[in-house]
Amino acid sequence: MDVAVTVNGTTYERDVEPRKLLIHFLRDDLDLTGSHVGCDTGNCGACSVIFDGVLVKSCMLLAVQANGASIETVEGLAEDGELTPLQQAFNEHHALQCGYCTPGMLMSATALLRENQSPSDAEIKKALQGNICRCTGYWNIVEAVKSVAR
Amino acid sequence: MLLREVEYAKPGSVGEALELLASNDGARALAGGQTLINVMKARAASPDMLVDLDGLDELRGIELAADGTLTVGAMTTYSELVGSAEARARPILGEVCATIADVQVRNRGTIGGNVCSNDPTNHLPPLMVAVGARMTIAGAGGEREVPAEEFFLGVYMTAVAPGELLTRIAIPAGKKDGFAAVTLGAEGTCICNAAASVNGSVRVALGCVDAVPVLLTADTAEGVADAVRAANITPPSDVHASSEYRTHLAEVLATRAAQEAATR
Amino acid sequence: MTETTLAPAPVEVQKGWGGQSVRRKEDKRLLQGEGVFVDDVKRHGMGYLHFVRSPYAHAHITRVDVSAAEAIDGVYGTLTGEEVAALTEPFFQISSAPGANIKDYSLAVGKVRYVGEPVVAVVAETRELARDASELVEVDYEPLPAVVDARTAQDSDAAVLHDDAEGNLMWSGLYSWGDLDAAFAEADRVVKIPELHFHRFNSTPLECDGALVEFNRGVGQWTIHTNNQFPGFAAIMMGPAMQVGLDKLRFVTQDIGGGFGNKITSHPQLVVCCLLARKLNRPVQWTEWRTDFHLSMSHGNERWFHDTEVAVKDDGTLLGFRTKALDDAGAWLRYEPLGGVIWAQVTPGMYRWRHIELDFTQVATNKAPVSPNRGYSRMQHLWFTERVIDIVARELDLDPVEVRKRNYVRAEDMPYTTPNGCVYDSGDYAAMLDLALELVDYESIPGRRAEAKERGKVLGVGIGSTLDSGTNNFGQSRLINPELQFSGNNEVATVKLDIFGEIVVTLGTTPQGQGHETTAAQVVADILNCSVDDVHVRAGHDSYWNSHAGFSGTYASQFAVTGLSAVKGATEMLAAEIKRLAGAVFGGVPEEALELADGGVRIKESPDAFLPFMACGAIVNANNAGLPEDLEVTLNCRYVYRPPFEVPDVETKTGNLTLTYATQIHVAVVEIDPETGAYEIVDYAAVDDCGKRINPQIVEGQVMGATAQAIGAVIHETYEYDEDGNLLTPNFYDYHVPHALDMPPLATGAIESPSPFTPLGTKGMGEGGGAGIHAVCAAIQDATGQIVTDSHNPYQRVWRLLQEAQA
Repeated sequence: MDVAVTVNGTTYERDVEPRKLLIHFLRDDLDLTGSHVGCDTGNCGACSVIFDGVLVKSCMLLAVQANGASIETVEGLAEDGELTPLQQAFNEHHALQCGYCTPGMLMSATALLRENQSPSDAEIKKALQGNICRCTGYWNIVEAVKSVAR
Repeated sequence: MLLREVEYAKPGSVGEALELLASNDGARALAGGQTLINVMKARAASPDMLVDLDGLDELRGIELAADGTLTVGAMTTYSELVGSAEARARPILGEVCATIADVQVRNRGTIGGNVCSNDPTNHLPPLMVAVGARMTIAGAGGEREVPAEEFFLGVYMTAVAPGELLTRIAIPAGKKDGFAAVTLGAEGTCICNAAASVNGSVRVALGCVDAVPVLLTADTAEGVADAVRAANITPPSDVHASSEYRTHLAEVLATRAAQEAATR
Repeated sequence: MTETTLAPAPVEVQKGWGGQSVRRKEDKRLLQGEGVFVDDVKRHGMGYLHFVRSPYAHAHITRVDVSAAEAIDGVYGTLTGEEVAALTEPFFQISSAPGANIKDYSLAVGKVRYVGEPVVAVVAETRELARDASELVEVDYEPLPAVVDARTAQDSDAAVLHDDAEGNLMWSGLYSWGDLDAAFAEADRVVKIPELHFHRFNSTPLECDGALVEFNRGVGQWTIHTNNQFPGFAAIMMGPAMQVGLDKLRFVTQDIGGGFGNKITSHPQLVVCCLLARKLNRPVQWTEWRTDFHLSMSHGNERWFHDTEVAVKDDGTLLGFRTKALDDAGAWLRYEPLGGVIWAQVTPGMYRWRHIELDFTQVATNKAPVSPNRGYSRMQHLWFTERVIDIVARELDLDPVEVRKRNYVRAEDMPYTTPNGCVYDSGDYAAMLDLALELVDYESIPGRRAEAKERGKVLGVGIGSTLDSGTNNFGQSRLINPELQFSGNNEVATVKLDIFGEIVVTLGTTPQGQGHETTAAQVVADILNCSVDDVHVRAGHDSYWNSHAGFSGTYASQFAVTGLSAVKGATEMLAAEIKRLAGAVFGGVPEEALELADGGVRIKESPDAFLPFMACGAIVNANNAGLPEDLEVTLNCRYVYRPPFEVPDVETKTGNLTLTYATQIHVAVVEIDPETGAYEIVDYAAVDDCGKRINPQIVEGQVMGATAQAIGAVIHETYEYDEDGNLLTPNFYDYHVPHALDMPPLATGAIESPSPFTPLGTKGMGEGGGAGIHAVCAAIQDATGQIVTDSHNPYQRVWRLLQEAQA
């Protein structure tokens, strides 16, 4: 099926099988390998992207469902290699170790901060509940997000 | 992880969706996909065709009638319900939906999908039974209404027959509701849950203990434990809970849900 | 829940880079999604591999037919066990008999021995096609009874996994030190503990295993892009199996999404990829999915401790213990039975008892093969010693804090030689315990207990003390098998000045988030007296850099010792060469008169005589006419760090098995809902001591991560099997790992007891030793008043304990 998907401002036209998951479309067809796969049951959130302004797990969407949609991935956050305040906060607060969950975490935090610029600790944790991390224990990630809150 | 081949259709109306479902034996409705896509990844079920209900406005919307009845479109997402001013007329709905999984799942997962998949550990089947919801099912012959307690027929099975669609759920007015669960981690999958509603007497629906929600009634919240015992449930054993433990939890959670409902 | 409070550790401010929480170099690429993880690597024409896996825990394979799969357009080819048996030798076995006799191939040959075992590999044009085609592979099985409980694996009627071993016993050994008879005679009392059980789980790194393998036909070499965290071990296993020299196996890694030990034994799958890359003449790509990982990779050692007897005095002094450890290795010995000796690095735990006997038996069962998991084998043993302390305290009606302090190895005892000759280098356990208790406001516990009771909750507090022994002496493998020719350890680093004076470092390690690039740069910058920004550390690992030796990799809590000591050595070599060169260029100035500063080298007394690094690099590389003939300078320095070890004594089973001993002492406060058994951790303190910390923030990050994983393991995470050998928790839906809302408030603290044995005073610390498991078990015991005998305490088990308490 023909689809036209806009990712980080660029529109891609491709022919895809209906069964192709959106995460595989991003990674394999568009070479946007920043979003990751960490599970096969929709639990880990490493594939999280923003889809028409809404945070989703791209492993539970088909590429064909993204026809006409506008998607934001981690690759679209920094401009010309300039890290955003959120990304810088992750660096300052050591909110990443292996970095595998990090793109998903950044998208979830980005979605949160768009809706709520002064989240409490509890609100931050709830916003990140769909993103599994095995390295950090989440404490530093919460601190990083809190530090960019107003 | 990788799906089998499947066809995909995106109908422009409920009528078109029904036609596609009726004329293709292996066609399944795709709502939020938060359950179905995972089932397909595991290849536990592989429909021949997915009929995408996204974009069918007739299946969306939350309306609050003058008599307090809430009508919720089947394709309403958990997030939409949590954020809906109308839905606050029955607060338990948003409260429970807010604890389902995580924000990504809540942004796509739908009320209709939750009840139609009828996974015994889901939150909404017992809740719908406790509040006395009524499900509207559309098919070739028109629409029919099924009360929640007759809607759930078996594990993953509901009164929605092949070629039919759940279109909306009507929830009567009320505020004295409760919900209690023991979950696998905070806001995780339910190990056992119970929903309760008080309207004079107490109406309790147990989840996770049988193929379908188990409906019980009692005069007071204090009498709920007896009602659970009298029901002689034999819940399944699995890696998270033995039958004995689940039975015990059912009693405790039913009482807590009833007490919450009674004191609202 | 209260807000997260993080108590910054009191550190003296260091001059220079060491000791500073320098921001990580790794982050810029990882934050932009520009890391290179193995599944990100692509090659033109690559084929995607899918494994057909066994649906049975134990069965004969009676027929394999790949013809229907191969007939599909777009399927490039397949590989079967029969081919593997013809093309390769069985993998080398670490074990002595009977484990030595098992025949381990990279695909099942003749038999399957666990659900999920790879049987056939299919390679196709797309991922989906490989998956589809695998459903057309026909395999016929004759099911056999399955052995799923280690306690029955040696019964006369138990099914036997490996006929070549003539039984399910893989390895056994008796360890005995001191004088147990005397100890038990001296005891006022013998505390008996019939059964303790450490459960099966692992660290489920978010990224699963994977590889992309290319075969260069012309030179007969494979390039293996993979996230295997111990390529040295993989090479030693793969080379002989494939009958090729190790230089034909080039391992390349860049970013790895977590390892925790679970990415050490992927060599069977890598061999399959290599054989197929050669057979099909195209690159072969393998992605392991979550379910595949749970079914088949790296479960942690499940261990029973039976018939434990503890000799104690009435005042709580521990004299000694004896126990029978029964270890469940699963279906294959991939890194086992090293677990049978590695526990001995911490034989007495943190305590001063001298008389110890442990009878270790390891058996095979029809479950996933075990291999190292964070805290490998020491965690199980340390959990055991902590359980013993708390059970003894309960039996004697003594305060667990006092029993610990009475028996802890003391700061003044350090370095402390244990009954089996291991040397605890440094530490102050009592001070750490005090700090941990302070961080949870231990004095307030009685009040909090009463307040919780008013709310209908049961509160408990527990201590978990643990050691993280690091930098192995591989000579301990000889206590498993005296024929083995391994001993000592090593790690390599290179540091060079490029032609334009760029400082470039390569490491032999395979970091999975530990910040090696950053900490290595800190060490280099301190020696060359430059900025960390001037030091470029290459990301990842590549055999082509020749920056590795036999034991290179990232595992077993060692980088701060082995990796950084190699970096230190190489940089000191480079520094000396720079000075030697400058001395010659300045016309014969001795090295002592020179210093490195400001991006170059100068004469101390007259700093205007200055040669920038760029000039040094240029002279050696492009402008070297006129230099003295006997000037030995390359500005490309390779250093092999070798920790000081002797070969252990095989007869007495004594010797120093690990170079450093980091310590963690945790305290957990739990609140249990007595009606349901559900509980939460309401307060938690973690205090660590890993000697000199090069980057305190990086250290603390790993302490936190270890804490979170331990909490996950004790409450939720378990690999549980039904009686037919089916894994009941094969994915993240049923195997619940902690999410953000599960995390308790955490206070951290630290002290630094430098190691006297390491060049930088550092100690390895990455694994932690499961302190969270020990602490939460202790807290549950305190809350319920019942003895906790299992490391896995889901709500159901806690509810049962409370039921028992009421009975």
